[in-house]
Amino acid sequence: MAFYEENPLGITSAEVIVGIPTFNEVDSIARTVEQVDKGLAEYFPGMKCVIIDTDNHSADGTREAFFAAPGEMPRIFLSSAPGEQGKGRNLRNFFEKARELNPRAMVVIEADIKNISPVWIRNLGTPILKGAGFVSPLYVRHKYEATLTSSIIYPLLRCLYGRRVRQANVGDFGFSPKLLDLYLNPPLWDEAVGNFGIDIWMANIALAARVPIVQAFMGAPKIHRVKDPYSHLTVLFHEVLSTMFNLMGVYKEFWEQVKWSKPTALSGTDLHEMETPLPVDINTNWLHERFVEGFDKYFGVWERIYGPTVVPKLQEIMSLGLQHFSFPSQTWATILFDSAAVFRRLNPQERSGLLDALLPLYLGKVLSYVKKTERMSLQQAEEYIENECMIFEENKPYIIKVWT
Amino acid sequence: MPKILVVDDEEHIRLLYSEELKEAGYEVITAENGFKLLETIEGEKPDLVILDIKMVDYNGLDILQDIRNQFYDLPVILSTAYDTFKEDMKSIAADFYVVKSFDLTELKKKIAMALETRLPG
Repeated sequence: MAFYEENPLGITSAEVIVGIPTFNEVDSIARTVEQVDKGLAEYFPGMKCVIIDTDNHSADGTREAFFAAPGEMPRIFLSSAPGEQGKGRNLRNFFEKARELNPRAMVVIEADIKNISPVWIRNLGTPILKGAGFVSPLYVRHKYEATLTSSIIYPLLRCLYGRRVRQANVGDFGFSPKLLDLYLNPPLWDEAVGNFGIDIWMANIALAARVPIVQAFMGAPKIHRVKDPYSHLTVLFHEVLSTMFNLMGVYKEFWEQVKWSKPTALSGTDLHEMETPLPVDINTNWLHERFVEGFDKYFGVWERIYGPTVVPKLQEIMSLGLQHFSFPSQTWATILFDSAAVFRRLNPQERSGLLDALLPLYLGKVLSYVKKTERMSLQQAEEYIENECMIFEENKPYIIKVWT
Repeated sequence: MPKILVVDDEEHIRLLYSEELKEAGYEVITAENGFKLLETIEGEKPDLVILDIKMVDYNGLDILQDIRNQFYDLPVILSTAYDTFKEDMKSIAADFYVVKSFDLTELKKKIAMALETRLPG
């Protein structure tokens, strides 16, 4: 349960709940709440709605800004105990409060989105009321945006769980009461899930639960507060991958039966305005340097983890230099499959070491993707990623073999 | 024997697909447009739909959304003369797509994959 709760209107039930996880969001929470409020009023008229700020004991006035934001919808403020931080813990408190309110649909939206509009709440919430179990957004993205998703999360989840959810690791989604029950009684909850691992944990559980999944066109990019995409890379990489690898152990009997993948239903296809993606600068020299450093530092680890077909390939990739750099998709799929299989046999410290050694390989894969797609349109780059995913799916028997 | 529904407003395509796919061991039924297509699917219960994108009076991509909303896991292969449709994101609701051709090798491969797709439970 949340350490602190403020429910000034004494709300005891709601049909649609929007949760906003926060930590020191005084500058952004008011606009987000205002847009959510408008979305609920416009698209869920006559329904009992509530907005919940689920906070990490912010000291910057987030609570006051939340209650002071314009709008008419009832509000509830929750907070974890001082020092108890992490988005996963926020959402855990949100799940517990949501269960008390017995909703028909829940939406989670991040607090720092600068361009959120009311229709986003419709796109994420309405499919749940029509029977979907989980709604994942489809933001307009630059081809170099969210490379962790394009290189690892999308191909691996799709290959394992058989459903094509393109942006499964964003922090915004809708979900049903059935999934709420699963989130409250999870097969896995650890430190990573309590932090950055929560988003992929939620999507992963939805995939394994076989609930109908809808992807919602949002018609716009997701514009956050400005942040360095690599500032939290190591932590994010560790928490997302360890969550995925751990859940592979939980759901092994499920994913080993899956063959090929299927699409999802879509919502928001009535949006006729499609904004253009924001430009993304990517530093190929930096990516190459990280790969080369990794080669020097982790080659011994790579030799121990990856088989005799992969190691010579890595030497060959290294020999190409920046100008001709290329990381074959087949090699990449094998590396990820081997990593997942080895990960489950290691102790926590060794697991962290494995992920450290995998990170430069991921950055090498990103470099290869950037070079391959630099002259491609967004559409062509998406087709390239689709082809990569097919290589993962074609090699599914390999992960089943090395896992057992 | 898997049943395939071919939806195309060009008669020669319906004939070509019917003959070739019957020879390949499938049961084939056809429809010439999207009129009452959902009712047809409900009644005929095909194992897979091959759907033309550009039909007179019907947009295959809109029909695709209706199919996906009502028959969530029914495999749908988009069939088109041009691959420019991929610029429309609605096409991602299809299992696969093929560019129309008199050589149906690629179509047959995609049909086999779509029918092979297996999700537990």
